[in-house]
Amino acid sequence: MGEFFNHRRTPGALATRRQCLGGLAAAMIAAAAPAAYAGTPRIACLEWASAEMVFSLGIPPIAVADIKGYRDWVAAPRLPADCLDLGSRGEPNLEMLLKLKPDMIIGAYGYGLDEGPFTRIAPLHTVPFYDGTDTPYHQAEAETRKLGAKLGREDEAENLIRQAEVTISDARTKLAGRAGQPLAVVSIFDDRHVRVYGRGSLLQDVLDRLGLINAWTGKTDSWGFSTLGIEELVAVGEVRLVSLDPIPAHIRIRLEQSTLWANLPCVKAGNVTTIPPVWPFGGLAAAARFATLLAQT
Amino acid sequence: MTTMQSAGEMTTPDGGKWPLLLLVGIPALLAAFLTITSLLRLLPMELWWYAISATDATDPRQLLYRHAFLPRVAISLLAGAALGLAGTLLQQTLRNPLAEPTTIGTNAGASIALTIATLYAPWTLEHGKEWVALAGGAVATLLVFGLVKGRRFSPIAIIIAGLVISLTCSSAGALLMAINREYSQELYIWQSGSLVQNGDATLFILLPWFALSCIVAFILLSPLRLLDLGDESVTSLGMSPAAIRLAGIGLAVALSAAVVAAVGVIGFVALAAPALVRIAGARTLRQRMIWAPVAGATLLWLTDRMVQVLPFASEIPAGTATAFLGAPLLLFLLPKMQFLPDPQGIMLSRHRRNGWLLLPPILAMLAALIWVVLAVGYDGVGWHWATGTELTELLPLRAPRVAVSLAAGVMLAIAGTLMQRMTGNPMAAPEVLGVSGGASLGVLLLFVMSPTLGRPAMLVAAFAGALVSLVIVAPTGSRRARSPERLLLAGVAVGTIASAFSAVVLASGDPRLDTLLAWLSGSTYRATPIDAFIAVLVAVAALAIVPFTARWLEVLPLGGTAARGLGLRLDRVRAILLVLVSASTAVATLVIGPLSFVGLMAPHLARMLGFQRALPQLFASAMLGGLILVCADWAGRMLIFPWQIPAGLLAALIGGPCFMLLIARRRQ
Repeated sequence: MGEFFNHRRTPGALATRRQCLGGLAAAMIAAAAPAAYAGTPRIACLEWASAEMVFSLGIPPIAVADIKGYRDWVAAPRLPADCLDLGSRGEPNLEMLLKLKPDMIIGAYGYGLDEGPFTRIAPLHTVPFYDGTDTPYHQAEAETRKLGAKLGREDEAENLIRQAEVTISDARTKLAGRAGQPLAVVSIFDDRHVRVYGRGSLLQDVLDRLGLINAWTGKTDSWGFSTLGIEELVAVGEVRLVSLDPIPAHIRIRLEQSTLWANLPCVKAGNVTTIPPVWPFGGLAAAARFATLLAQT
Repeated sequence: MTTMQSAGEMTTPDGGKWPLLLLVGIPALLAAFLTITSLLRLLPMELWWYAISATDATDPRQLLYRHAFLPRVAISLLAGAALGLAGTLLQQTLRNPLAEPTTIGTNAGASIALTIATLYAPWTLEHGKEWVALAGGAVATLLVFGLVKGRRFSPIAIIIAGLVISLTCSSAGALLMAINREYSQELYIWQSGSLVQNGDATLFILLPWFALSCIVAFILLSPLRLLDLGDESVTSLGMSPAAIRLAGIGLAVALSAAVVAAVGVIGFVALAAPALVRIAGARTLRQRMIWAPVAGATLLWLTDRMVQVLPFASEIPAGTATAFLGAPLLLFLLPKMQFLPDPQGIMLSRHRRNGWLLLPPILAMLAALIWVVLAVGYDGVGWHWATGTELTELLPLRAPRVAVSLAAGVMLAIAGTLMQRMTGNPMAAPEVLGVSGGASLGVLLLFVMSPTLGRPAMLVAAFAGALVSLVIVAPTGSRRARSPERLLLAGVAVGTIASAFSAVVLASGDPRLDTLLAWLSGSTYRATPIDAFIAVLVAVAALAIVPFTARWLEVLPLGGTAARGLGLRLDRVRAILLVLVSASTAVATLVIGPLSFVGLMAPHLARMLGFQRALPQLFASAMLGGLILVCADWAGRMLIFPWQIPAGLLAALIGGPCFMLLIARRRQ
């Protein structure tokens, strides 16, 4: 697989690339765009978790599906400004992929996409995080190694795995005073329901590593979350409720008007904390980010 | 005026209040029973009063009771009553038994305004989303009336314009949701009319709105009653019928917009409640204005209670359930309803022209277009005409999409032309008469019942669905049954069931939802070469078969008796045409989804270009249908590159307004 990325690119390519994005015909992107980083494989990502992983391995993806969504919901690591949008994650633009001629396409898992059209353009690698074979954190480690091997970034992969461990254990030290205190982690998309993360989720694995107790012990689906009516949050009592941003603006408005929400024990006790976006279905970078953000609250 | 009123009251025979009391009483008792049994399961009776006045917030049961259960019961009653009143007002002012906020476009306008505000200007919702809904509802309603102003509020024209506006708004809404996927789930639940409450804020917003409307409605009672006498008499009494109508419609729009803002779109209550109380004996306007809100309240209350005892994994939104209950009720009521004759009933043009000469240029245009859309593309930076190896690389990506759009357009246009000829109704089309809806219902049922979706199974399901809905909707031959209102309403009923069902499936959170969503919005993204091959094959077969139906299609618009006199074996002809329409619609729906206006638009465009006779019209509309969808697919891939707008959606979004313009122009 390795020889795939071995062809060298001319050093002058950097300037060429900027110009291209500045407005030259995109056909030129395919011809001359390549390497801002000589020898860096040109990767297109069809969804966000793979984009996060590829970038964390030191390879800025050349294109990612739904970049605006990535900025809103994944946030970090920040994609380079010249990263191109591939369209929606449900329908990544095939003509664009054909033009870009990436060295590899990564993703195509969880969006009901047929792999055929992608494999005709470039080799396709999928990152199946939630097939239920292991806990998401372990799976993220394994997939990181696999991807590292595939991209010739074995050292970076090991480094990333170690770095995540270190970040999480740092956070654990900071959180030592709160160890044993239960908390619940939720996403709010709608004013009547919350998505609460529990067993089988990446966030649960991180909580375990931080020595924190997840107050939500109920059933979860295969992605490790459960959608509840907000009144069911009564079950967690007055614990700290960690809510992941972003909360859509109109939902925030409606939540403020909701007397049911206002009367929830944890809300009444003022125990709701909002933290910046963390992609709950992401990889090691998301896990480390979650640990750091929790430690900062 | 006083004498007028008493005369009005006296001429209506008072059939006794018993039917009315039963109509309201039985559902109310049932709803009360269901409410009390679930209340008992929630909270012991001795706490009922205490939990209202001094809620114990540490007790989840009391919290639920006080901030979810009670507000929900109250809002179901209130929204139902508001809809009943709105329906009565509209039916009285428009002299149209089919008028209700959904059929005249108000709800669609209110709903799209709220969707846009939610996605792009959420701050506008802070100051009360009723106003946003009201603005949207008012604009949509005004548009509908603007379109038909040349026809003096002709009932059928209003319903048609309302239908077109609603379809356009809902495709715009679907588009907005498709490009804002992370928010979609919540918007779906809300748009399907959920009565779930999480506090009493909504209730206390809707309550004064409704109370005020009731007062205004009863002030308007006398003027509104005058409308029964006819416009000349009203004018001779020194009042302006237009002003009375404006007041009545304005009030109804305000009521409907408030309901949409509070709980989303709840269909059929505003139609069914006034219809039911009329059948049960409420003859005078005063009776209807009292009984229809009461009936509406009990209907919605009961529906909402029943929804909650049904054993489904996730709860069906009440707005969806009212569609499930209301649509069959409507189908059942149709034969019993009295329709006012439409003074300017829409007839097929008697003007004959041959039009064969125009076919070759259209065909040439289509061929040129296909070449252009295969070769030309936008790639994020500039336009590009692909040739040589580049073209051979792009063709596998572009050709299947172009082919399925072309084939779907051809098939829908054929189906539309056949239906318009068959029913003698210019508004007949697979999309309008629920045939596309039926096809998608078949696919959705398969989706729910089977874990895998094989193409052949989907095809059979779509065909079965289309055929069943067509058999339900299509006229049985008598002149009465061919009444355009009846036909349209039956179609709307079937279409409503289908879209309600898809709302349920979409709310279920099934992991295969993305594929379904793409299909429902008419995306060609997943079209495979095999899909393209099958679609083209069926389209060609349809084109080959239709010449044999030409004579029938010339004769059928003349009516059943005439057709029989000319030697047609009506049953057999009808059966063949039904199968032909169903097969074309089913295949087209499978590849392009249930949206799109092509089946309605293409035959009209063909006729306007001068193709009056059956066979030239069939071929011309087939070409035009293909042309429209191929253009829509191509434009959808280019407009917001690298994002893509589904072809069916874009066709509906652009086709709707074009069609409205055509209606408006022809009226002048």
